[in-house]
Amino acid sequence: MRRTETKILKVIFEPIWKNNPVMIQILGICSSLAVTVQLQTAIVMAIALTLVVAFSNLAVSVMRNVIPRNIRIIAELCIVATLVIIADELLKAFMYDISKQLSVFVGLIITNCIVMGRAESFALANPPLLSFLDGIGNGVGYGSVLIAVAFIRELLGSGKLLGFDVIPRAFYLSGYENMGFMLLAPAAFIIIGLLVWLQRTLINK
Amino acid sequence: MSSNFKSVLFAIVLCIVCSLLLTMASSGLKGYQLRNINLDRQKNLLRSVGLIDDQRNNMPEYIEKLYSEKIKSLWVDPSGRIVKETERAQKDLPIYLFIEENVVEAYIVPIDAQGLWGKINGYLAINKDGSTITGFTVYKHAETPGLGGEIERSWFQKNFEGKKIVNKEGKFVSISIARGAVRDVIQKDLQLNFVDGISGATLTGKFLSASMKDILKEYEPVSVKFRHHMVKENAGNNSAAN
Repeated sequence: MRRTETKILKVIFEPIWKNNPVMIQILGICSSLAVTVQLQTAIVMAIALTLVVAFSNLAVSVMRNVIPRNIRIIAELCIVATLVIIADELLKAFMYDISKQLSVFVGLIITNCIVMGRAESFALANPPLLSFLDGIGNGVGYGSVLIAVAFIRELLGSGKLLGFDVIPRAFYLSGYENMGFMLLAPAAFIIIGLLVWLQRTLINK
Repeated sequence: MSSNFKSVLFAIVLCIVCSLLLTMASSGLKGYQLRNINLDRQKNLLRSVGLIDDQRNNMPEYIEKLYSEKIKSLWVDPSGRIVKETERAQKDLPIYLFIEENVVEAYIVPIDAQGLWGKINGYLAINKDGSTITGFTVYKHAETPGLGGEIERSWFQKNFEGKKIVNKEGKFVSISIARGAVRDVIQKDLQLNFVDGISGATLTGKFLSASMKDILKEYEPVSVKFRHHMVKENAGNNSAAN
């Protein structure tokens, strides 16, 4: 019993810190550049991706013994695409403004290496519950990086957090200016680079 | 059972299950999505005449109420006469009036333009003087995010406010998107007919300018009526633009 418990914990927490999909495996960089200008879109994207990875892992794992090996990648892709389109439809129905801002990037979850990578390397070889939790762990790992980057970019770039002004007016009056560079994609590259550096230093200590 | 046959069978079953799921999701959520799309369109219409702004979070009920109170949609024929919705012909054009206290304050022309990669849908509101633009909004487009996609940003749309679709002599010239900042690239006496362009999106601007010119030309008979103060009272009756 103890062994399964530690395995579950390991499956959930390892991808959040020690084996983070963005910072260690350098996967999913494209969307972390695109949707991190604002905290709100980053959070929605993190939730959408977490759900998609978790459920695609679950579905692939349930079918792992029936999926023919020679068409497994296509089968995985089919499952992932279905889930992503459903997520996109849900966003359009209930969070229309945010889905407009995320535009193509929800659809591009299909091409996010994290989703296929987890299905291929974990879900095909592990039981459903464990695979589902692995999906949650990886989604949270990806989401936490996204949110951290978006936090820095929105704060420095537009002086806001979740759309509310947080930099006091007095700052602006005394000459403080928002950093326009933070709103551009290269800024996310630099921030992710710095985060990777920080994290590796902390891990190797 | 050969393994090839098994693969094909699996693929077929998977496809059927996935397509069933997608059909369910799409038809089940259609009602909500259509309402959102309609609401977004109304929001843009109201924004083009300055009734709401981007910043505030506008409640759906408030938008619907404002829209039904202040905006009237009708059809005009190519000569600018109002036609009844039931009798309208293929060539007739849709137009929206912004009515405040029984006075037509502005008219709004739907801009269904051709962009670089696809259709651009939006609204151009023109003041009751028939020549001054009060606002421009885009609610749907397929341009590249960050380049042509900037047409949906307020900095670009704000450019249109106060510009004219006629030149100094009062002749129709439409409104064009400049290649760069108007202040730098357009000579002084023409600046009222140009808005700042988007860097990296010269072609989007070119296509949008051309489409706008075509569209505004079609609506020119209506604009002329406004310019000559022939629209006096509200459009509650059909004599409004006779």
